[in-house]
Amino acid sequence: MFKNCTIKYQKSPDNPSNDKDCILVTYPKKDDGSYKTLIVPINNENTDYQDILQWVADGNTIAEAD
Amino acid sequence: MALSKIDVANMVTGLVPNDNTIRRPNATPLIINGDMQVAQRSTSETGKTSAGYYTCDRMHSNIDSIGTYTIIQESLSSGNAYINGFTKAWRIDTTTADASPASGDNFSFIYSFEGQDLQLFKKGTANAEKFTLAFWVKSNKTGTGNVNLFDTDNTRLIGGTYTISSADTWEHKVVNFAADTTGAFTNDNGQSLKIEWFLDSGTNFSSGTTDTAWGSKQDVDRNASGTLQIARNTDNDWAITGIQLEVGEYTSSTLPPFQHESFADNLARCERYYQVVGSGTRADNLTYFSAYNHDGTSTMFGIFNFRTTMRTGPSIDQTSGTNYYTFKCNNATDDFDGVNGFRGGIHAGEFYLSGGSSVGNSSAGEAGKVMGKNASSHIALAAEL
Repeated sequence: MFKNCTIKYQKSPDNPSNDKDCILVTYPKKDDGSYKTLIVPINNENTDYQDILQWVADGNTIAEAD
Repeated sequence: MALSKIDVANMVTGLVPNDNTIRRPNATPLIINGDMQVAQRSTSETGKTSAGYYTCDRMHSNIDSIGTYTIIQESLSSGNAYINGFTKAWRIDTTTADASPASGDNFSFIYSFEGQDLQLFKKGTANAEKFTLAFWVKSNKTGTGNVNLFDTDNTRLIGGTYTISSADTWEHKVVNFAADTTGAFTNDNGQSLKIEWFLDSGTNFSSGTTDTAWGSKQDVDRNASGTLQIARNTDNDWAITGIQLEVGEYTSSTLPPFQHESFADNLARCERYYQVVGSGTRADNLTYFSAYNHDGTSTMFGIFNFRTTMRTGPSIDQTSGTNYYTFKCNNATDDFDGVNGFRGGIHAGEFYLSGGSSVGNSSAGEAGKVMGKNASSHIALAAEL
């Protein structure tokens, strides 16, 4: 589902102690240079977040925020 | 009309008569966008090799290691579906075949429901109702298709089949499913039921038998009768429209008519799951997405209310690219590729762009506009099942 994507946490810009404000998923670039990004809340009811949790359960790791 | 002829009973209960004999327990169609009129994401997607929502709203493609596809919102101008009032369809074409799927590969078209929208079936009670599923289907392949009801709350499944008799011809199918006195649908905003039309699979999904009684889900049964094998050849295609799910048991001659909604009503219901904040470009090459404010941390916060209460706190679905967006403030613009953060509830939210050294031409405390600057600019909220 997230083949060749980069997935990392985003730090809250106005609360530095929160380094998991949301998750930024960046898909590979298309031929025209555009690319899809998905910004996913930490929310168990959100199915994109559920997919990321499954991706982690499959042995992958979410990169820490910059 | 004499006063005594007014149907007071239905006015009180909210039942909606479609003609002189039919009384549905639901006022609006249970399936949203069953006529495929709404396609907020796009009308055509190519090179699809994995699961996702492509083209028509609410319609999910499950593609698991089994070929490559083009998916479109097809416009109809002839055929049996068209003359029965359907002008759009969801269609998938195989562009890279998988002639011999591995055992665990699977490929299906799926519609999902929230549990709170299914309570009228009274599933899991002594008064449980039967289900009738109807739809228009067309394929270059003739044969048998498996279509299942999958109760994801209780991991229970019932199977059904339909037969495509004539290639490349719209045919109307009606499939009946038994009532289930076991396992209630959870009364909340989570997924409780999936309708899954299997299009192809490996043996892990086909080596059993289609079980036309409710029971614990067995994967081997889910495509046990399926012979369409859409993934196996690049000549293959499959299309569907006019999907309706009814409470009770009907035949093709007793089935209530499809409930066509206005485009606006249809779109509004779709927006509970997906709504576009801004997309594309205007004639002057600028499309407005939101107002923003520049706080003291070189961060832009774009704040907006949602048009419809969403199913849950949504994700941002964005198309990014070099200078796809721009800030405008103090009568000058500053371009950027895309926002990189979001937080929100079900009524409103704010996206943000952080980590830069500046926010356009604005200073901390100032406000401005966020605009699209490319025909492909697209920011949407997604809260699908």
